Amino acid sequence: MKRRYFPPRLKYKHIPTILLALLIVLLLLIPQFAGKYVTYMTMHILLFSLFALSFNLLLGYTGLLSFGQASFYAVGAYACAKILLVVPSLLLGVIGGVLFAGIIAVILGFLCVRHTAIYFAMLTLCFGMMIFSIAMKWRAFTGGDDGLVGIPRAPLEIPGIFSLDMSPMENYYYFVLIVSLIAIFIFYRIVNSPLGLTLQGIRDSESRIAFAGISVRNYRLIGFIIAGLYAGLAGAMLPPLENTVTPPIAHWSHSAQAVLASLLGGIHTFAGPIVGALLFYVIKDIIVRFTEYWLIFLGIIVLVLVLGLRGGVVSVFQDRLFPWLRLRFGEGGANERITKD
Amino acid sequence: MSELLRTEGLRKCFGDLAAVDGVNLNLEADVLTSIIGPNGAGKTTLINLLTGNISPDSGKVFFKGVDITKMPTDKRVKRGICRSFQIMNIFPRLTVFKNVQLPVLSVLNKSLKPFSRLDDHRDAVAEVERILKEVGLWEKKDLLAGELSHGDQRLLEISMAIAAKPELCFLDEPSSGMNPVERVKVLELIKSLSTEREVTFTIVEHDMDVVFSLSERIIVMNRGKIIADGEPAQIRENKEVRDVYLGEEL
Repeated sequence: MKRRYFPPRLKYKHIPTILLALLIVLLLLIPQFAGKYVTYMTMHILLFSLFALSFNLLLGYTGLLSFGQASFYAVGAYACAKILLVVPSLLLGVIGGVLFAGIIAVILGFLCVRHTAIYFAMLTLCFGMMIFSIAMKWRAFTGGDDGLVGIPRAPLEIPGIFSLDMSPMENYYYFVLIVSLIAIFIFYRIVNSPLGLTLQGIRDSESRIAFAGISVRNYRLIGFIIAGLYAGLAGAMLPPLENTVTPPIAHWSHSAQAVLASLLGGIHTFAGPIVGALLFYVIKDIIVRFTEYWLIFLGIIVLVLVLGLRGGVVSVFQDRLFPWLRLRFGEGGANERITKD
Repeated sequence: MSELLRTEGLRKCFGDLAAVDGVNLNLEADVLTSIIGPNGAGKTTLINLLTGNISPDSGKVFFKGVDITKMPTDKRVKRGICRSFQIMNIFPRLTVFKNVQLPVLSVLNKSLKPFSRLDDHRDAVAEVERILKEVGLWEKKDLLAGELSHGDQRLLEISMAIAAKPELCFLDEPSSGMNPVERVKVLELIKSLSTEREVTFTIVEHDMDVVFSLSERIIVMNRGKIIADGEPAQIRENKEVRDVYLGEEL
């Protein structure tokens, strides 16, 4: 049956925008009323959201299942850490981390995008584990399984122009929040641009897209690099937060967390990975209080949600409960039906 | 008449079977050509070779005098060759509008734009509107392509093929699975598109009524070889063709 939604009543049109504005205000106020723990968790959720988004650019938009997304996160984190240990400048560290992740993405992407489906997944898994091994074994450079420690939360400064002290948690929170919001906004623009449309075409039919005059391999590589940059950005903001980086962030199970979060939220929606990241952390945080085998219970909950809410939490919200939501947030994925009011 | 596409000794084997066996072919501009033949004659394989889906074992393909034998599909499309598929090949999870918008943006070399909105490219939007109105899918532009009826999906495929602004466009069984009414509509559409958009169509068809009412030239294939080539009237009289079609009334 064809589903069609009637044009929403005018008053509905602005609700998503208002909700979004309220959410941003809430995020801005968190350090003022929520305490250190929630502030700290929110930062982690923001980083994880960027990480999950980067993964979903490949799966939900380009149709490529990557199991190596954590390697770019790790490259971003280690590169940022290395830079901060030498030059205490936050801006330099983060930008350096993103750039390094991008360079690695160019190299690995060049080798990976020649293959699709399971071969692509296996290749990304292999390269991911190679990066993990380097983090684990190259003790002189990466610190081995101890990781890198004593990374300063360097001030945000451009010498001679301004300098912001980042050592209070709240200050760093605002840095992470603003960078994340800007990054998410740019991501939104990308997936709704001609480039985003082309990537979605690759997802839907590789053989057809070639007959639009598009080189599938080149565009997959572009998608892969953008995803790498985003994972790198998420990773690069981690060392100043934790003051350490350790190899587990490069492990494939860390990539798998992005897979879980995206599935949980819905891979065919823009906001899916972000909502999934939030749910993932909240569920994990609750379960961890009761048992150290939290991953088993998390797995069961994800299983139930994925089977019960096919298409993810966000899809279900949009399709069944509040169809008008997609006016604002539904674009980009599979379920876009109304693009103009 | 100017030559658009030429092949020299084109050959492709699958195992021991020569699906296309030494085909020498000329396709001329502005001549609506049909390729017919019984099942397994090698028609689709021939098109796959010409559009770059598969590469030949031997032989060459020239497009407007340029050797394109080794050229990948997307580059051939940029030079002016496009096609539709026998088995439906659309972007099922995108809207009808975006299905056409994608190749249009590619023609305008705008596929790489990462930050602009889709609707900001007015020229593309206008072109999509023109195409969809021409094929009669404008009313359904906001539906997902996967939700369209079979006939409409075929129309959409033709829209996507011509959106790439080809000079030469192959249509692989454009009317398969359609009812007689839809079939007539598609025929009319192909005729009007070929004059209005100056596209040279080459059609693979099973339906003889379609072939003989539409084509200006017919190429008959059997077992990988071209066995007849000429105007519809000539083909109708050709003995070998009649034998291949087991005395079917042509």
